[in-house]
Amino acid sequence: MNCEMAHERIVTAAYGELPDEQAHELERHLGGCPDCRGEREQLRALKVLADAHPVTEPAANLVARSRLRLEEALDALPPKRWYERLGQRMMNNFASLQAAPVAACLLLVAGAGAGSLGGYELALNRAARPELTPAIASKTPQAGPAEIANISSIVRQPNSEIVEVRYNQVVPQQIRGSLDDPAIRQLLMLASENSASAGVRDDSVGLLAAECRAGHSCQAAGIRDALMVVLRYDKNAGVRAKALEGLEPYVAEDVRVRDAVLEALMNDGDPRIRTSAIGLLTPVEADTSVRQVLHTVANSDMNPQIRTVSRQVLRRVPEFQ
Amino acid sequence: MELIREAQAGSRAAFDALVRQYEHQVLRLALHLTGSEQDAEDIYQEAFLKAFRYIGNFRFECSFYTWIYRIVTNLCLDQLRRKKTRREDHAVYVDHSGAEVDVLASVPDGRSFSNPSRELDRKLLGQRIQTALGKLTPRERMVFELKHYQGLRLRTIGEMLNTTEETAKNTLFRATKKLRTQLAELRS
Repeated sequence: MNCEMAHERIVTAAYGELPDEQAHELERHLGGCPDCRGEREQLRALKVLADAHPVTEPAANLVARSRLRLEEALDALPPKRWYERLGQRMMNNFASLQAAPVAACLLLVAGAGAGSLGGYELALNRAARPELTPAIASKTPQAGPAEIANISSIVRQPNSEIVEVRYNQVVPQQIRGSLDDPAIRQLLMLASENSASAGVRDDSVGLLAAECRAGHSCQAAGIRDALMVVLRYDKNAGVRAKALEGLEPYVAEDVRVRDAVLEALMNDGDPRIRTSAIGLLTPVEADTSVRQVLHTVANSDMNPQIRTVSRQVLRRVPEFQ
Repeated sequence: MELIREAQAGSRAAFDALVRQYEHQVLRLALHLTGSEQDAEDIYQEAFLKAFRYIGNFRFECSFYTWIYRIVTNLCLDQLRRKKTRREDHAVYVDHSGAEVDVLASVPDGRSFSNPSRELDRKLLGQRIQTALGKLTPRERMVFELKHYQGLRLRTIGEMLNTTEETAKNTLFRATKKLRTQLAELRS
């Protein structure tokens, strides 16, 4: 180490910022260099002298005065116009979008529910008046402030106060559109399986079920499959009941739907679902597999009412040989 | 972090809470650097109004502390540059009413004042330090202030001044060299 470098390191060391290995090297140099030792002494003296001009705490009345003046200035600012607020929001969320990973959860917020409800009313009207032209889907994407979903890692840089934190952000989004819009349908199907809220699943399944009952191309978009998944796996009985309603039109024509309903009849924990399932099987009462299940249920279902109803159905339709 | 998001969303209460968190540090820095209560108050006002206006731009890529301080240091640098061009060289500071106040007389001191000549020495010394500090460039003054008086790390100082830690370190080195030259005769 030469003296020029030593002089620089003396300053860095005096302020506690010299890494340990360099500090060790510096000490070794100082051990053999009286000039540099003198340099260090002078720097120490400078630090003492500099403290003859000490930092003072701001007086309480200075703080109070400053704060008051700031409050008045902020109160006097005109409120932001709607386009300024929107612009600000878009800027905030543009940056949030850049940070949001592809794997972030998609949340269907209340706005989608409201839009869907409007679509639901429209679907009902369309079922009654088929000559109406379908509504044009309009997407109005809006976004809310981003929230942090989770922290994925924390890494501290050695020998420093610097910490790197990786986190995932959830960016709430909103979309309005017709129930015929594939994007809306896709979101509803996603909501039927993925939403943490039973209310949201209930809404989405109800809408999908209504689409199916109204005969609005239930298969191509995989809605039927989504309803079957909900019927089998959703923890909320109300949601499962809606899925069952939506599958009703397809029990006769689709074997998979029939099997799903039979499974619900045998395994669903809620007696109302099992009862509804029996009702759905009316068009296929004569089917062998259906009768087999009805026999099992008539003998072993925990609920006496269900056992009774099953027996009644079996008696109603003579067996095919 | 929640407070910042609320302030970004427009909550005045959240912004006021943020002001309270940082106002003492802001005033302490501005007061020591400018030596004037009025100037410190002006810097406080400008800094927080700017923060209010631009808080939506804060992206959490640095700490909020660094972000606020960056605003304050830039305002202080502008002040120092203005003062330099006016060639002002106050050895005392000016309070809000405009009266000059001797720096050391206003500093509370635990030691007894039984030795008047020592007291005089301290006052003169304080003035000499301020004069020497005034001869640094605004950036050198700023770095020395942030390092020696405010105790910040060189890396943080670099971030606040939009430069690297290495540059901040070199600036500190230059500042101490200049100060030592200025104050050399006091040691003899």
